[in-house]
Amino acid sequence: MPLSKTILLVDDNTLVLEMMGRALGKEGFECMKAGSARQAMELLKEERPDIILSDYHMPEVNGFEFRQNLIGTEFKDIPFMFLTSEVDSDVMLEGINLEAVDYILKDTPVRVIVTKINNFLTTVREQHERTLKELSKAAMALNLHSVPQKLPVIGGFEVDFWHKPFQNYPGGDFIDFITVDERHTFVVLGDVMGKKWGAWYFSFGFLSYIRAAVRICISEGNFSTKSILQKINSVVYHDPVVNDVLSSLSLVLIDAKESIIKYSGAGDLPLFYYNSKKGAAKEVRSSGMLLGLMPDGDFDEIIVKLSRGDQVFILTDGIIDADTETGKKTDYNSFIKAVTPFLRRPFADFKAGDFLKCKSNEHIDDCSLIYLKRTT
Amino acid sequence: MILQTNKHQDVLVVTIQVKEANLTVSEKFKIELFAHIDGGGKYIIVNFEEVTYVDSSFLGKLVSALKHAITNKAEIVVAGLNKDILGLFQLIRLDKAFKIFDSTDSAIANKGK
Repeated sequence: MPLSKTILLVDDNTLVLEMMGRALGKEGFECMKAGSARQAMELLKEERPDIILSDYHMPEVNGFEFRQNLIGTEFKDIPFMFLTSEVDSDVMLEGINLEAVDYILKDTPVRVIVTKINNFLTTVREQHERTLKELSKAAMALNLHSVPQKLPVIGGFEVDFWHKPFQNYPGGDFIDFITVDERHTFVVLGDVMGKKWGAWYFSFGFLSYIRAAVRICISEGNFSTKSILQKINSVVYHDPVVNDVLSSLSLVLIDAKESIIKYSGAGDLPLFYYNSKKGAAKEVRSSGMLLGLMPDGDFDEIIVKLSRGDQVFILTDGIIDADTETGKKTDYNSFIKAVTPFLRRPFADFKAGDFLKCKSNEHIDDCSLIYLKRTT
Repeated sequence: MILQTNKHQDVLVVTIQVKEANLTVSEKFKIELFAHIDGGGKYIIVNFEEVTYVDSSFLGKLVSALKHAITNKAEIVVAGLNKDILGLFQLIRLDKAFKIFDSTDSAIANKGK
């Protein structure tokens, strides 16, 4: 099994619990053990296992009643197997008819029981992966992308990005480059607070609002990132579909003619700015709160003049999360420390480096990083 | 249960009982915290003392509970953030949305101020 799977064992016989627990533990399973159906219900409220293996003959609530009780609850979908010594075929049939995936006799060798469980979970995983693939295919067919398919071409600037979704699910981070004309390009980086499909779905809602707000403002000749953010915030705050979903947003306007960027942020991480001439780097912090949190997001607009070689990094929190020996940590400085040696080197080197490789493997959260560099 | 609840007169202290407050517990956290707000809690202290790491899914639920609390004329404050989590709150300006206290005792003492 690629990842540790959790199994809930339910049996009033402590010897069976211990023996099965040990055998499954050796196979890499995490075991939760319950001596009764009531205790099992308590454990289920604490943690959701991948599969339940339950005895039939138990005092108070027997295995069938336990299974029956689960049907109609949020635990109905957890695969359920009976492990019992009851050999009466009518009883066996009754058990199977309770939407149990298998009915295993207790005198079955433990190795066979473990193989049956492993085979079943492998089938579930493969089915899950197939579904994921189909969904991704459907999303591609609909041309739904929460990250751009190509990089914008901006005179005097190099733009690039790196993105890795959480456990390879499409997730809540979204990136967009909105080219208005040769002079103006908006760079958008957002993070819907959540993961996987739910967050992915909402990322499109937010992207649509952002694109609309940008277009409306520029049609009015308004290129203020602060005004755009205020517009988006106001819509999100009042929209019942998305106002329960929070998102951060970094909005940067590249003005190629003036060689400046305008930046406004909503609950986002500070930009990291490197001044090539001085050889100095600093964080650029905005004041805005998460989109939709308050009617007035308290947004500001920061202008940074860029000279040749200057660089700006825009990032989401997955980039600053790390799995350390003492547990998971969130540390902005870890990014600064990692990127600093690469500031005089091509971004491709940092992209191929150990730091981002590590983020890719850790799978803590969606990770996104946008890179801007003034080249002339 | 993700939250252990203690009542001090009309103050509710809810202690998050996991080390890693992430996606796997965030929905449960939201349901339990919403239930406290719907149950009439007007001053709720969310105690992070036992938490070492919090991800954005979990923070999203905390913030959505804050919005629910505001609608219900209730207040949610946070206490017991470790250095990293406090840093994250400040980094993404959640310190503007929540009152932050070192401990539940100082959060209790603040009630009504």
